[in-house]
Amino acid sequence: MAPLTPSFLDQLRRAAPGGVIDDAVERLTYESDALVHLRAVPGAVVLPSSAAEVQAVVRLCHAHGVPFVARGHGTGLSGGALPHPEGVLIGLARLNRILDVDIANLRVSVEPGVTNLDITRRVAPFGCYYAPDPSSQSVCSIGGNIAENSGGAHCLKYGFTVHHVLEVDVVLPDGTATTIGSAALDSPGLDLLGVFIGSEGTLGVVTRATLRLLRRPEAVLTLLAGFDSIDTAGDAVSSIIRHGIVPAAVEMMDRLTIDAAEAAVQPNFPTTAAVLIVELDGPDVEVTDLFSTVEAVCRRAGAVTVEVARDPAQRDRIWKGRKAAFAAMGRISPNYYVQDGVVPRTKLSEVLGRIRDLEARSGLRIGNVFHAGDGNLHPLICYDGTVAGQAEHAEQVASEILQYCIDAGGAITGEHGVGADKKAYMSKMFAPADLDAMQLVRCAFDPSGLSNPGKLFPTPRLCGEVPGPYRAHPAERAGLAERF
Amino acid sequence: MHADPMLPATADDAAAMLREAAITGAALRPGGQGTRTHWRPDPREARIVGSSRLVDGFEHYAGDLVATVPAGMTLIEANSRLAAAGQWLPLDPPRAGSIGGLVATNDSGPRRLRHGTPRDLIVGIEVALTDGRVVQAGGRVVKNVAGYDLSRLFCGSYGSLGLVTRATFKLAPLPQASCTVVAQFADAEAALAAAAVVDGPSLTPSSVEMQAPEWRLLVRFETSEAAAALMAEGASALLQRRAASVAIVRDSQEAEVWRDHAHRLATRRGVLLKVVVLPTAMSRLFALLSDARVHWSVSGRATLGVALLALQGDDAQIVTVARGLTQYAREHRGHVSLLDAADAMRAAVPLPASPAAAVMRAIKQRFDPAQVLPGVPDGR
Repeated sequence: MAPLTPSFLDQLRRAAPGGVIDDAVERLTYESDALVHLRAVPGAVVLPSSAAEVQAVVRLCHAHGVPFVARGHGTGLSGGALPHPEGVLIGLARLNRILDVDIANLRVSVEPGVTNLDITRRVAPFGCYYAPDPSSQSVCSIGGNIAENSGGAHCLKYGFTVHHVLEVDVVLPDGTATTIGSAALDSPGLDLLGVFIGSEGTLGVVTRATLRLLRRPEAVLTLLAGFDSIDTAGDAVSSIIRHGIVPAAVEMMDRLTIDAAEAAVQPNFPTTAAVLIVELDGPDVEVTDLFSTVEAVCRRAGAVTVEVARDPAQRDRIWKGRKAAFAAMGRISPNYYVQDGVVPRTKLSEVLGRIRDLEARSGLRIGNVFHAGDGNLHPLICYDGTVAGQAEHAEQVASEILQYCIDAGGAITGEHGVGADKKAYMSKMFAPADLDAMQLVRCAFDPSGLSNPGKLFPTPRLCGEVPGPYRAHPAERAGLAERF
Repeated sequence: MHADPMLPATADDAAAMLREAAITGAALRPGGQGTRTHWRPDPREARIVGSSRLVDGFEHYAGDLVATVPAGMTLIEANSRLAAAGQWLPLDPPRAGSIGGLVATNDSGPRRLRHGTPRDLIVGIEVALTDGRVVQAGGRVVKNVAGYDLSRLFCGSYGSLGLVTRATFKLAPLPQASCTVVAQFADAEAALAAAAVVDGPSLTPSSVEMQAPEWRLLVRFETSEAAAALMAEGASALLQRRAASVAIVRDSQEAEVWRDHAHRLATRRGVLLKVVVLPTAMSRLFALLSDARVHWSVSGRATLGVALLALQGDDAQIVTVARGLTQYAREHRGHVSLLDAADAMRAAVPLPASPAAAVMRAIKQRFDPAQVLPGVPDGR
């Protein structure tokens, strides 16, 4: 593929006046998302100011066969917004308006560049909030959340982005603008929203989203319990679930990450082998009643310490400790690699055992922070980038952990996405036929393969045309050949 | 319609039957227990390819609150098995049918308020496609963003893309206790205003159902024994000020209230519609109905903007009402679906096309190029 021509760039400037960045140095700013080891300088960067400009840009790209990559605020951890060196990076940061707030119907309409937390800030005076709360919520964009189907610490009870988006305006990869879903429930026809959300920018570009709001729970109680082993903490989680309680959040940290968080933000966590954070929310009468069960269960399971946060300040301190865990690793290790994998919750103990063996074998320290309620692990592999070969070694260790997740019947990503980073693992988790079925969807939305190419799928594929009804080839009929 | 349905015994058999049909040009129509088949009539002479023999491979991962259920198993059977571990698949459509049918129609019931519809609970799927292959998507863990979410694409697809052979769902613990507040109101406005008040952060009912024109609300609390009782009392106190009468029902009395609610539309002949609008547009819907010269009856998810509406009477009058509702729903960012209706009625009540119908048709064309299966639902 050839670099973008001066004539194409001229047309791009007309499509989004004042929005094109073609200066080589400025384009460097966009060379990666938050997964910084994957880099590519985009052929051009365009920052549209309206949905119409997004559409004009995509139309132009489609007309010229130029690949494009949509980018929100660049906080993704899988290289989903890694630019195409000969394509256009469409930055959506300027589409950052909250368009409509409808409290009576618990709906809000926003542009894709609006920051997740800004929605909650806007509706908080009405006692409402937007539920999905990824750790990056103060900086990540709603468009990016839709692309990745973002979750957060509270998705155990409240679900993911896919449970909270009702309607999106999108520009399809051929430049057609359309609406999928509806502000009222049960949009007719196929559930296109269900498949679009989490498609990592490969099916089109969102220009507006209508989201569901929730009413702030009346009561929130948070418990911090210290355990002398990860296994006993895990037993406590199983027991809570056996008691029929679905907490709003259940988080676990091991000693290494506790120490790191302590060094960074002093949350005053117990110095035990593991801590468990359990949060219940809901009506006062319900939370008070169920919380006594949770507290008793933790003690019976062998909690060494139990602290209950009964006011927002105490709760904020606990969450600050948890949310600081990633960044805090920088205090105890020059570099670290964040992995994202999922195991069935009941296999946590088995998989963590394998990770501990791997730690001993590899000589690299591995911290563990995870959403214990849903089995989403975030092993943090510590290494020193100045030591030759150690970064590669850390990557191998991270890769081996993903294999453990697959072996346990889990998934290669729970919330960071496949992106450019994990596409090779897709064929370890899915059979060729499964990937082919996903490719059918891709081809229906984007037969030219221009929307965020090279992501999500393990190998690039072309879409054959399907003009009219299927006619079996004689070789097919004889069972000698199969058509994709 | 062809007399004898094809009943594959395995997913591979099902895929082979679909592939054979693609080669010979036969028309097939996925079916389960036949519970909702009439909701989307297939104008073709299609033979049923049914899931009723696909009953093996039930797996309950109780500690993970997840279960894989074969498509041919009924919801009732699945839930009786799950109950052994104090869990359930929290779906309560008025007529349960098979798991495959439930996924294909994305049907739900009153507890939708708390638990959502099949698309909100599904975490993995296995389907047989017309190219002869059996494919899987998602997995058996609740949190998973690896690849496209084909599970949700199949929810509500009415068999247009393939035959669902099994599905994996997130489960819920069975509630420790349940009680229901039944309140009677003077009119739609009073009932709907009351519904909005009880569905708030201090009560969190699992269902808020409206019966009209009786103007009755059923508000259900399912949680711990103590909390359910306290919340029902709280709701009752709130409703006293607005309602003509309020009662709290429990145990067999409560079960009876809900059984009657589930059956109240099913027993009526005539046309059954689903009307969906923004929640605040519900009350004017009833204003439209009060002018109608037909018998009508509504069971509605009062705070979600979803109403199931049975109409009886003169066909021409029913058409007028249905057209009026279609127009009204459209103006309030919603839509109407015809569930039970004769072909002539369907023809007389044109429903607007989905703005994304072209994408739906493109997906259909990719999954089923030989058009073995029924068309995309509402993809007009």
